[in-house]
Amino acid sequence: MAITGHLVEFSLAEIFQFLEQGHKTGLLTIFEQPEPEPPRGREHYIWFNQGRVVAAANRSDHRGLISSLSQRGLLGDRAASRLAQSCGPKVPLGLYLKSQGILDAEQLKLLFYTQVMRQVCALFSVVDGWFHFDSKAVLPCDEMTGLSAPATEVTLAGLRALRNWSTLEDKLPDPMSTIVALVEGQPNLRLNAVEWQVWEFTGGKDSLQTIAQHLQLPIHKVQEIVFRLNVVGLLEEVPMMVLEAETTHQHDEEDELQPTSSLHDSTVSQSFLNNLVSFLKHKV
Amino acid sequence: MEIMRLVVTGPVGAGKSTFIRSVSEIDVVDTDRRATDEASLLKPKTTVAFDFGRLQFSPDMALHLYGTPGQARFDFMWDILIRRAHAYMLLVAAHRPREFHYARRILSFMQRRSRAPLIIGLTHTDQPGTWDEENILIALGFPNPDRHPPIVSVDATEAGSVAVAIMTLLQHYSQVQQRNVEQPAPHR
Ligand SMILES: Nc1nc2c(ncn2[C@@H]2O[C@H](COP(=O)(O)OP(=O)(O)OP(=O)(O)O)[C@@H](O)[C@H]2O)c(=O)[nH]1
Ligand SMILES: [Mg+2]
Repeated sequence: MAITGHLVEFSLAEIFQFLEQGHKTGLLTIFEQPEPEPPRGREHYIWFNQGRVVAAANRSDHRGLISSLSQRGLLGDRAASRLAQSCGPKVPLGLYLKSQGILDAEQLKLLFYTQVMRQVCALFSVVDGWFHFDSKAVLPCDEMTGLSAPATEVTLAGLRALRNWSTLEDKLPDPMSTIVALVEGQPNLRLNAVEWQVWEFTGGKDSLQTIAQHLQLPIHKVQEIVFRLNVVGLLEEVPMMVLEAETTHQHDEEDELQPTSSLHDSTVSQSFLNNLVSFLKHKV
Repeated sequence: MEIMRLVVTGPVGAGKSTFIRSVSEIDVVDTDRRATDEASLLKPKTTVAFDFGRLQFSPDMALHLYGTPGQARFDFMWDILIRRAHAYMLLVAAHRPREFHYARRILSFMQRRSRAPLIIGLTHTDQPGTWDEENILIALGFPNPDRHPPIVSVDATEAGSVAVAIMTLLQHYSQVQQRNVEQPAPHR
């Protein structure tokens, strides 16, 4: 399976949401160029395994991790290459180096953090670019630390750092809507202080406008927070009127029993359906 | 007179008006206006009020079709229609991922307000850049391949194709009714 598109059409946040929810495995490439055809711009690679981010690079020679090791003075270029060769074909390089006692767990974590969080977060601000997802791509053990992060975690971090929201403007929630939680109990992702504050309003009582007033935040900020908590699956925007109507629902139901609105809750008869189907069959 | 009400919903330019025009025997009330800002890039005209179409197929039986407006925010008009609908169809242009996010919002709105059976209709599947069914379902929030509403491809410009889509919706409606009779607990 391969999917290609422009980031204006389908933003990185949405791509990540899609890859995570679909438990996708493969390679996501981001091309920093206005058209899918050359001239080619910079390319970035992010590998997914079952919807989790396992590696990222901005070079295609599979030497990103090795060069990062030597930049940090953890291992010389040559030594690293030699080790990489002796590492089995299905073993992530990071894990192998750890098993050889060359890296400890903390160093490995830091390495993963720089490789994935830093590199990928920066990509959320790429506006004029293309993406391509290839589910047939093989995961590159040389670029892998063996660690992984849920795509949602990367999305949260990436959107927190995002300054220019213009391409997401039409996807931001309506200031007059309210928010309801999509998870029970506490969120399984680490929220920052202001996200927590917004999260506390997921009772569905207040509009984003009101929340903004309470928190003394610009409405746009609240919309951004709600958008990112939404794409990571924590909460959902609901038009205010829906919840208002829900509380008066019982009342409505009684009304519906009135003969004037007898069609309201009625079901359609089987003979109606049969007649309609045979009529439609003639149109096919 | 027995009437069945179907609501056709979906993002801007999904093909709702076209769909209803393709089967309606009366002229669809044309409420299309020049699209403003965002939508105008996509198409010159958008529906500003509800589309209405009718199919009177026997002296005392008629199918009513309502199409939701493209750009409007959810309002009471939506609410009234969806609450009265016997079943509804979400149309999604398969080649326009930009709208998947909004389609998802429509779904959530509809499902909160109505227990009526629903199917998903993919339009524009003949265009380049079309996403496949499985991936659109994921993007609409149905990652589990065994748990999602029925989904059909439909060419809204073809009366025959629209008829097939409506029959799929009727069949689903009928199955849900059956299930409700067998186990009265309301379930989609
Ligand atoms: N190729 C193709 N074109 C279609 C299909 N469905 C609709 N169209 C075209 O898409 C355009 C938009 O269709 P409309 O019916 O106006 O869409 P709408 O959903 O009513 O749009 P709004 O009222 O703005 O929300 C029209 O030019 C249709 O002819 C389809 O399945 N295939
Ligand atoms: Mg229309």
